[in-house]
Amino acid sequence: MTGDARRDRLTPDQFRAVVSAVLRTGVVTAAALTTVGFAMSLLVGWEGSLLGATTATSAPTDFSQLLSGLLAMRPISFAQAGLVVLLATPVLRVATSVVGFWLEGDRLYVAITLAVLAILLGSIFLVH
Amino acid sequence: MTLGADGAIFAISIGAGLVGALAGVGGGILIVPALTLLFGIDIRLAIGASIVSVIATSSGAAAAYVRDRMTDMRVGMFLELATTTGAVVGALLAAVVAPAFLYVLLGLVLLGSAVMQVLRLGEEMPPEVEPSGLAARLRLASSYPDARLGREVPYAARRVPLGFVLMWGAGVVSGLLGIGSGALKVVAMDGAMRLPMKVSSATSNFMIGVTAAASAGIYLGRGDVDPTLVAPVALGVLAGAMLGARLLPRMANRHVRWVFLPVLVVIGIQTLLRGFGVGS
Repeated sequence: MTGDARRDRLTPDQFRAVVSAVLRTGVVTAAALTTVGFAMSLLVGWEGSLLGATTATSAPTDFSQLLSGLLAMRPISFAQAGLVVLLATPVLRVATSVVGFWLEGDRLYVAITLAVLAILLGSIFLVH
Repeated sequence: MTLGADGAIFAISIGAGLVGALAGVGGGILIVPALTLLFGIDIRLAIGASIVSVIATSSGAAAAYVRDRMTDMRVGMFLELATTTGAVVGALLAAVVAPAFLYVLLGLVLLGSAVMQVLRLGEEMPPEVEPSGLAARLRLASSYPDARLGREVPYAARRVPLGFVLMWGAGVVSGLLGIGSGALKVVAMDGAMRLPMKVSSATSNFMIGVTAAASAGIYLGRGDVDPTLVAPVALGVLAGAMLGARLLPRMANRHVRWVFLPVLVVIGIQTLLRGFGVGS
């Protein structure tokens, strides 16, 4: 492998472990939120609320309504939160890779990964 | 949705995640027809669910593939540069190019690739080559631990420019048609760059989540993603993908090709039919 060993603060194995952990954490968190939402829906239905709140549910792109839905213990809001975590996981994985390649001392791949991250964020946020 | 239907969707999604993780494609080929044909779910919502299933397959499987050194992260990141820029161009072209023509073209490319796959059916490993100057500079040469062969297998990407162009095309297709194009990614890495089949599949899995995440925002904004439908799909796909990711390292490369080939043929036929206005 190339790269100056003294400056490399992250071995390839550690890099992989971190990226793998980011993916697993995202997936497990999303699955947990979705499962909790599903279990709650068996009690009060998807549109209900464990606390008996009655306001309308929101689209998952609206974070403040998502938060209030979670506080009202709405099953659908838990499923939406799981969805948001799931969709954010690949983006987080790319962001983690930027830092990983930097710590590995591979500037070419820092540039490549940064470009991918910029295009990805642009395509997610500019379409709205 | 009744509990029984949720259970059935969950079970089918496990199968979709498993096949997707092994073949390097999202679970869309199984999810979309199952939801529309078996459960009468609106095609719009079925596609929304399949986009989420692609991300679930990708992240669920890649967590293990990255750790087990099945995914080549440099190959993946380098080619994501091609797929993401391609996807932007595809999205911009969407207003000008007739989708029907593109579906037919893509269907023919996929079925043509299937013929190439048949010719390589018995092949366990691509012939070993010295990395070209470009592959060496981009560090697209590495090795992976093959649990089945019980040894470290070195590999080097061949025909890097061709692979990049094919991936760019896969990105354009994703942007234009809103599909993950995981099959094209495997074809580009296995067929053009001649990476080992398991590395191609695991690296495609790693990449498809990013492609799908880029377009998921559009589907969310349009209200095509129904969390109550997605819940059993995502949970099933995640379980299936994690199971598949445990199997792949122990499988022979030629057996992975046996999983990929029928998937490729089905996607090719589906895409071709869509071009002629049959199905979704």
